[in-house]
Amino acid sequence: MDSSTVRLILLIIHILFFIYAFSVIFSYVFLSFISALESSQYIKRNSFVNYNEILSSTVSPSISIIAPAYNESLNIIENVRSLLSSHYVNYDVIIVNDGSKDDSLEKLIKAYDLVKVNYLINYQVPTKPLRQGVFKSTNPAFEKLIVVDKENGGKADALNCGLNISQSKYVACIDVDCLLLEDSLQKMIKPFLELTDVKVIASGGVIRIANACEIKEGKLININLPSKFIEIAQILEYLRSFLLGRMAWSRLNGLLVISGAFGMFDKKIAIEVGGYNTKTVGEDMEIIVRMRRRMEEENIKYKVAYIPDPLCWTEAPDNYKILISQRNRWTRGTIEVLKIHRKIGFNPKYRLLGMLSYPYWFFYERLAPIIEVIGILYFIVLIALDNVRWDYALAFFLSAYLFTIMFTIIAIFSEELTYHQYTKKGTGFKLLLVTLLEPFVLHPFILYAAIKGNIDYYFNKKIKWGEMTRKGLSKTES
Amino acid sequence: MNNSQSVLEYFMQLPTLVKAVWLISIVLFILILGLILYLKILRIYLRKNEKEQIKYQKIYEENLINYLYAGDDVNEISEEQQLFINKTKIEILNTFNRKVLISVMSKLVNDISGEIAVSIHKFYYETGLINYSLKKIKARKWEIIASGIDELTQFEVKQAHNKIEKLIKHPHKEVRNQAQLYLVNLFQFQGLNFLNNLEYQLSEWNQIQLLEILQKFDNQEITNISNWLKSNNISVVMFALKLAKVYNQFESKDALLDLLKHPNEEIRVQTIDVLSYFFDTECKEYLKSNFNNSSKSEQIAFLKLLENTGDASDENFILENINHPNFKIKLASLKILKEINPTKFNNLEISESDTASKRIVEFINNN
Repeated sequence: MDSSTVRLILLIIHILFFIYAFSVIFSYVFLSFISALESSQYIKRNSFVNYNEILSSTVSPSISIIAPAYNESLNIIENVRSLLSSHYVNYDVIIVNDGSKDDSLEKLIKAYDLVKVNYLINYQVPTKPLRQGVFKSTNPAFEKLIVVDKENGGKADALNCGLNISQSKYVACIDVDCLLLEDSLQKMIKPFLELTDVKVIASGGVIRIANACEIKEGKLININLPSKFIEIAQILEYLRSFLLGRMAWSRLNGLLVISGAFGMFDKKIAIEVGGYNTKTVGEDMEIIVRMRRRMEEENIKYKVAYIPDPLCWTEAPDNYKILISQRNRWTRGTIEVLKIHRKIGFNPKYRLLGMLSYPYWFFYERLAPIIEVIGILYFIVLIALDNVRWDYALAFFLSAYLFTIMFTIIAIFSEELTYHQYTKKGTGFKLLLVTLLEPFVLHPFILYAAIKGNIDYYFNKKIKWGEMTRKGLSKTES
Repeated sequence: MNNSQSVLEYFMQLPTLVKAVWLISIVLFILILGLILYLKILRIYLRKNEKEQIKYQKIYEENLINYLYAGDDVNEISEEQQLFINKTKIEILNTFNRKVLISVMSKLVNDISGEIAVSIHKFYYETGLINYSLKKIKARKWEIIASGIDELTQFEVKQAHNKIEKLIKHPHKEVRNQAQLYLVNLFQFQGLNFLNNLEYQLSEWNQIQLLEILQKFDNQEITNISNWLKSNNISVVMFALKLAKVYNQFESKDALLDLLKHPNEEIRVQTIDVLSYFFDTECKEYLKSNFNNSSKSEQIAFLKLLENTGDASDENFILENINHPNFKIKLASLKILKEINPTKFNNLEISESDTASKRIVEFINNN
């Protein structure tokens, strides 16, 4: 290869990098605009909605909250209490004890006066067998509670068990440690009942970080900003993701994922597609893609709705080890789901799903960390060859950095103009400070986790969920 | 001077792309500075606004309570009350004050009833707040119209009926919804006349809301719902079916029986459910003869009807379905068999491999 060929190849690589970076920036700007539009309309539309009538109505549809629990003994009593405190009338709570090795079941039996009952299960989705069986409370105050004890099969398997147990029309699948606000169910069910021209198959909620928040008897009392950098940085990440990204995708009806921490489904459709896939760690994304795929194939007009209200609060990792493990799993989940459903990618038969949502996830979620690392390595090679025009490089780095900062600030604005949750003095300054540092401090860890996720996916198939040690939200109880 | 000149010279000799990137960086930098400043101002404003709102809410709550207790007769306004009304008339010229006052009054009327609620309605008229609401329903923006209707509903302004009735066909869904809620809140069943020629679909959310509002009122004259059961608008039929069940409209039975042949599956299922609620037996033979051509949901709904109305004459039909592959149909059939012929149920022979039937029989026996 002569030097002119090498130069040509390098030029093509440079152009490809440039196009990629430009398209990322363009897509973020585009999504920000769409999200601003959707947020403003959502707030207007819901400013005079009276939820009381739906709450008390006997004809309002039934909802089952399904919460899988594995070794959650530390907080299980409090968590269940929080789930039982919804203001919605027609609902029940199904706790699936997924073969816990600790004393979760014993604690539940004692705290909620549970007894084993004869419960006929319609096994519509295959799951691991029951261990001790199904329990209900003898105390009328907890009549909405059902506890199922089964052999360990993972989160997806436990959710499938819940789908089999549920008698309701809709199911809200949540992480047991999530704290739901009392009006969560009526807000999540609204799109299912409200839209007449399309079939709503699922609705997803915003997940907020509850670290440092004050919680009393399973209720959120006071919203505080955590003190650790890693926690604040995740708050910014979540604001970007939920208030800008997903809001915009919801407007485009292109949402490919609703968080496994809190999502509501039309049970009939969820069962018809076979329930959760137990062979992936991205089961929350996979079920949505499968449901959407089915709707597209059957040519049914449908929507995956999204509720931006801060309804579900959860504990985020407060150390880098757990954060890396969590993001590693997210990466593997994304790779698996995109691989399972590769048929829809760039396939015009699947319209927006195949031509926009899938390609977006493929290029900007699946490939982004790999492209970033290639870019870094290439830059190192250029430095080694003393072939860097530093003034050019500085210009590009600076613009990329400033764009990142601006995008995060827009996410903070979006939060301030809509829900304004962090009201305390000094919070804005802290958020801005972390905004400036996040690309240098948190991002390298996120990138490392994503690359490790890729490596684990291809070379270490045995890894499944990874650990998530919980301190428990009740630690801040007053 | 020399430095800035050399920077400019350096900049001018850069390739266009790099020049553009530097310019973008400068623009972004300025934008970020502006946004940070604006964020600071916004947060201060929001905090201040929140404080002011809480402060004024408290003041208005106290004032309103004083106003309510300052009068002896609901129909007359005392001197003290008139003074407060006059003061309020001036205060509500300010939009912020008006908004806070309306929110306080709304909260109050939602929590109370009887004479005190009437006094608040009167206050709403006397202070002229009503005019602001009426003005709102003439606005161009849909959210203002909807909020105007909402206020007129809360303070029970019946004279706005004609104006709001026209809004029932408004192109924006939220305005239509609010108009429907107004009509039913204030005129109950009579307010439902908009269903006669409703062109849009009535969402399930709205149906539930309307039903709940209707149920708040006792001793109402219930409109004949047969025409709605025959409506071309599917959502109106669905709503009428809900009304039939809640208000025991057994006299609409003929219309209900006709709906068993409706082209929409959801309506057929809902109709069977209503007939089941009425313990109707007239539909049985038709549904039996049509069973194999029906959808799963209809079949399950019909078997639920038979759980209420099944008798010995249904035995053969039930026996045909106890081995149905659908779990719910099998369960319902076995339950009905136990009811109508316990001996036969107890003597059922179930093959070892039919685990579902075995589980169901065991479950029925234990319950």
